[in-house]
Amino acid sequence: MADSEFEEGRYLYCVVDAGTDEDATGFSEAGIDGGSVSVIVHDGLGAVVQSCDSPFDSDDLGRVREWLLTHQSVVDAAGERFGTPLPFRFDTILKGDDDAVMEWLSDQSETLETHLDDFAGHWEYRVGVAWDEDRVQDELEADDEKLAELRGKVDEAGEGTAFLLEKQYDNRLRDLRRARQKELTARLSDGLDPLVREFEVLDSNRGVLDSDDSNTPDEVVQVAFVAHEDREEEIGELLDEVAADPGIEIRFTGPWPPYSFAPELDA
Amino acid sequence: MGETGPTRSQSDLAEMLELLLDKGVVINADIVVTVGETELLGVKLRAAIASFETAAQYGLEFPEGTDMKRVEEAAGVEELPESETVTVGVSPDGEEDDEAAASDEEGDDEAEASDEDDEADGEEEKAEAKAEAEAEHDGD
Repeated sequence: MADSEFEEGRYLYCVVDAGTDEDATGFSEAGIDGGSVSVIVHDGLGAVVQSCDSPFDSDDLGRVREWLLTHQSVVDAAGERFGTPLPFRFDTILKGDDDAVMEWLSDQSETLETHLDDFAGHWEYRVGVAWDEDRVQDELEADDEKLAELRGKVDEAGEGTAFLLEKQYDNRLRDLRRARQKELTARLSDGLDPLVREFEVLDSNRGVLDSDDSNTPDEVVQVAFVAHEDREEEIGELLDEVAADPGIEIRFTGPWPPYSFAPELDA
Repeated sequence: MGETGPTRSQSDLAEMLELLLDKGVVINADIVVTVGETELLGVKLRAAIASFETAAQYGLEFPEGTDMKRVEEAAGVEELPESETVTVGVSPDGEEDDEAAASDEEGDDEAEASDEDDEADGEEEKAEAKAEAEAEHDGD
């Protein structure tokens, strides 16, 4: 891939629509490692950048974490000022000086504008649903004859057979629990469908923080989606309905820059 | 949830920081510097966030006002004791024979003595129980 050797570069936070903002270049923020962030504008497109002469790389994770926090806060500030930004991945650096950035903006203007228009007014939101495990188990037992029957058998059985019966009980419970999880996911996706676009059920095995046994152990369904900011209230109301079920708790976060739904640019 | 709008609390930050490492717009071009280590870095960072002990080792500090309970939950810290239990439960399998063999050597003397050794070491008792069980098997 690209050469990581360079003498002068511009760390790229995000690209924004600077079209109607006459004072776009006046935007300034404190950047990573105290560098100063500026906006390079070309033809209505603004690249939010900071000069650098090497990638940000460190074994000191505390430091990396600070960088990530700063990155996030710069993108947030840009989003507040210019509307939904096209957020770039951490440590994306354009080789060259401001003119090179200008040239890149000019080369890519069509693609960048298309994506910016596409995301205009839209943000990423994330929803995590947790349920009360004990309650779910009780309800499943009440609803499912087979499970109730197995429970009864386990309670009556002697030590030897109880082990096998418990296994059967656990398997049945796991299947029912999974089915309920699917139902819940379907309910969310059906309900959200008319209100959002680019809905995604998060793979519970993806990141450590996304996995359902590490990110709040009780979260059984996690989704991310892009929605228009005007829909927030409707989405909230829908989620309130789901959360009205006893034992269900919902975490609804956003608006975030559309990180999870960001495009790949071939240029 | 209680209120209708979305929230952006400090405690949601950990999730977002992870997104920064492997999400966001990617440019495939020669004018862009790519950092090979970034992925590695991400893995390390995630590992650190996942384990608070590791996090402490790396001096990973969370900003003031962070909802630590949630971060701990996010880090899966509550899972740790469980996995330790599993490890402990698994490892004796390897040692069992040794232990049993060891107490076999001292054999019956100890088994009798332990009646007087009231409430002797729990481990010893277990070892003896195993030794006895082994002995029974040997008899078969």
